[in-house]
Amino acid sequence: MKEPESLTEKTSEHNDLRIGVYVCHCGKNIGGTVRCEEVAQFATALPGVMLAKDSLYTCSEPGQEQIKSDIREHRLNRVVVASCTPRLHEPTFRAACQSAGLNPYLLEMANIREHCSWVHLHEKDAATEKAKELVAMAVSRVARLMPQFEVTVPVARKSLVIGGGIAGIQAALDMADAGYKVYLVEKAGSIGGRMAQIDKTFPTMDCSICILAPKMSEVGRHPNIELLTLSQVQEISGHIGNFRVKVFKRARYVTDECTACGECIDACPQLVPDEFEAGLSIRRAIHIPFAQAVPSKYHIDMHHCLNNQGIVACDRCFQACQKKCINFADRDQVLEFEVGTIVVATGVDVYDPTPLTELGYGKFPNVITTLEFERLINAGGPSGGELIRPSDRKRPRKVAFLQCIGSRSKRASPYCSNVCCMNTIKDALLIREHWPETEIYVFYIDIRAFGKGFEDLFQRARREGVNFIRGVPGEIIEDINTGDLRLLGENTLLGSHYRYTMDMVVLSVGIQPRKDSASLQRMLNLATDTDGFYMEAHPKLRPVDTTSGGVFLAGAAEGPKDIKDSVTQASAAASRANILMSKGEVTIPAITARIDRDKCTGCGLCARVCPYHAIEGGKELGYYRVVEAACQGCGVCVPECRFGAIDQTHFTDDQIVSQIDRVLANNPHDKILCFACNWCSYAGADFAGVSRMQYPPNVRIIRTMCSGRVSPAWIDRAFAGGIGAVLVSGCHPSDCHYNNANRETARRIERFWKRMERAGINKDRLRLAWVSAAEGAQFAKVISEMHEALARTPADKVHKEADKLREFLSKKSSSQ
Amino acid sequence: MTTLRIWKHFPREDLYECYQCARCTGSCPAMEVAPAIGPRETILKCLNLGHQDVVEDERLWLCCTCNVCEDRCPQKIPISDLLVALRNSAARRGNIPARLVLAVELLAKTGRSMIVHQLDEMRAHHGLAPLPPAPIEEIRELLSKTGFREVIEF
Repeated sequence: MKEPESLTEKTSEHNDLRIGVYVCHCGKNIGGTVRCEEVAQFATALPGVMLAKDSLYTCSEPGQEQIKSDIREHRLNRVVVASCTPRLHEPTFRAACQSAGLNPYLLEMANIREHCSWVHLHEKDAATEKAKELVAMAVSRVARLMPQFEVTVPVARKSLVIGGGIAGIQAALDMADAGYKVYLVEKAGSIGGRMAQIDKTFPTMDCSICILAPKMSEVGRHPNIELLTLSQVQEISGHIGNFRVKVFKRARYVTDECTACGECIDACPQLVPDEFEAGLSIRRAIHIPFAQAVPSKYHIDMHHCLNNQGIVACDRCFQACQKKCINFADRDQVLEFEVGTIVVATGVDVYDPTPLTELGYGKFPNVITTLEFERLINAGGPSGGELIRPSDRKRPRKVAFLQCIGSRSKRASPYCSNVCCMNTIKDALLIREHWPETEIYVFYIDIRAFGKGFEDLFQRARREGVNFIRGVPGEIIEDINTGDLRLLGENTLLGSHYRYTMDMVVLSVGIQPRKDSASLQRMLNLATDTDGFYMEAHPKLRPVDTTSGGVFLAGAAEGPKDIKDSVTQASAAASRANILMSKGEVTIPAITARIDRDKCTGCGLCARVCPYHAIEGGKELGYYRVVEAACQGCGVCVPECRFGAIDQTHFTDDQIVSQIDRVLANNPHDKILCFACNWCSYAGADFAGVSRMQYPPNVRIIRTMCSGRVSPAWIDRAFAGGIGAVLVSGCHPSDCHYNNANRETARRIERFWKRMERAGINKDRLRLAWVSAAEGAQFAKVISEMHEALARTPADKVHKEADKLREFLSKKSSSQ
Repeated sequence: MTTLRIWKHFPREDLYECYQCARCTGSCPAMEVAPAIGPRETILKCLNLGHQDVVEDERLWLCCTCNVCEDRCPQKIPISDLLVALRNSAARRGNIPARLVLAVELLAKTGRSMIVHQLDEMRAHHGLAPLPPAPIEEIRELLSKTGFREVIEF
């Protein structure tokens, strides 16, 4: 960080505080309950306060002008605005300060609307007293604030796209077209992914490969895209704007001169099940995944090649190749490069229905999955597009589709896989179109036709005579002589049993997260939801961002999605990445943690709790340091340090302890001290205010960015100082805005409860509550409950326990 | 008769997870051969009409408790537990088939749920000793302690 020295000197120069306090009436919103003039009058007497004023609307233009002119005229060096929540107008007042030449980090807000006037509408005296104290807390905090300068880190104008399915292709093209260099990493021998395997797309019945192939070749020839097939990301380090990536690129054994003439395949003696054809046909060890593959080059699957022992035992392909493109000396390599942004588009796996033994998949040849069916009716597939059944290769006359196989089930995946209903309807229509005499039965639980054009397609299928039967068969029995299948089940709408004999059964299987999704999750520090898909930063408002800066999600890796949604999300992810890259730099709020190298012993406890791996260093080095660009400012590392070597900028121990001390100054035994995280609990308390939920006025809220910042030492101090009760509140587990940093909160509070027991203090006086931003009612309820419990506790008991704790603490410190 | 206390023995919330896929009824051997209600309809009736309707139905007793329904239920609903709870309640209300009453009476009288004269003859034919006497007193005590007396007089 470049810290202009002159400025630091200037602030230390007039160390005498010149604080301006502005108490806002907010029309009648505050003024109707709190006597604002009285609060301003009270503030004038506070230490360091130069002037205190009340105004009708501080956020209005004249209100802001007042602050600006006072800063200039009275040389104010700190400003407190007592008005609404800082989540609303902190940026407004910070901008006002800055335009008057005051560092924006020297502003503090006292929330006397959401946390006071609105929640104590009928208790004017109590609300006024509370507002006074909130202002006093803000004044003692503002006195300790330091000017801060936000750091900007450069963003490399290069991007990495992981996964070459339709989502990865779209994201890569969007970024490359915008002029940025893109590395597209694909595990398989060709890009294309699942969409290349599918025959037609719903609801428009477009030929899948026909609309995909042009995009694939565009990727192949785009000057800004470096396509890395047969490659996997091995290691990613760094942070937003500057990731260092290592990619493991498997040897292709075929040089770039390959023209895909195909002479080599006939020569190859090794037969292997073809994974692209879902195992329905065979390929050779030297192969190309499919005709339209990009890059359009063969490669050798060395695992199945006769030369896999490192010696050339068979050179038939080499002999057959006229251009001599086969190179057995090719070696795997590790590529290293740097990128500024990353798009994760790793896609999904397909559910394997073998565990559902009653359906006989894997046992009865004529029971197949939808993916196998797609290949079966694809003109490029193993049967050349003929509808045949596997057992005798005859055309099936009666085909059944079974829905929700491996979806909506506690035995497989509990979620709806989103695409299977429409896929089945599309498949049924395809059969109808080409072989109209075929009888088609769809056994379903619910048909979910929610998208644009979906219901039309469903209706069309019904009109074309596809039979929809509600009730999935419980059992399939094979006739071993004919290979026909008997389906036993119940038609729930008729309430009667059925037995259908079918020639072929297609299981409409669900989709699942990639089996190896955990490795990338660890590398990029992503969160996953309960189903195992990568989690977005916010389900509504940041649907393609992740909690790791500079990393975006595209396609079904984030949750089951059809092609249209995958493309939409890919373009969104690319656009989000483009914003970072076109700006070329990213500003990081000056709330990061800092480590004092002199105090650091290099124990590494802080690095262990950091949810972003933003702390690096080691025992050998003797110290740890915070990577500011990676630090998101949760502060969870600070309480972890036993040596007081870490502090969080703008949320220092000193600043928050000053607020606590101010609360302890008057009748602490009557009060509840609440620590609330900025994102959920503080917002939840705001919501209680907006909803005018009334709760007792004896609570004092202190804001931290994450509940993980709350230091047990603060709670010690509060109880030793005779506080009535303490509430620590944060986001619900797994809802944490800092990658589950609130796990540390829970762990620390558990430990604190044990300590309270040892010290002989009633542990109910410390409460941990998860309150989300929508749970204003929950916040009000918790405060009311705590107030009731406190009202039953006599003041002398609180004082006695405080004495006990002080004794316990002094004993502990002397024994150390 | 005592009041119905099914939901004391079986968490009613478990039933809410049923989405009527009918995999259970498709697997039900009792429904194959007899007009049993089947798990799907049982659950639906419990939810929509109340269990009163179910426990009065004689067909409740046609289930052969093979538990295949529970094995194949995608929502892992403990169907056999539900059936046991319903049958207990039905029995208390007097909805209990005569053949079952006979079996219990026989058990209380002889210590066995079936008549064994012929069995003894067959055993003698093969040179085997007759079956040892059943511990009638113990069985009667077990029956009383498990609450059979409240349901069937013996």
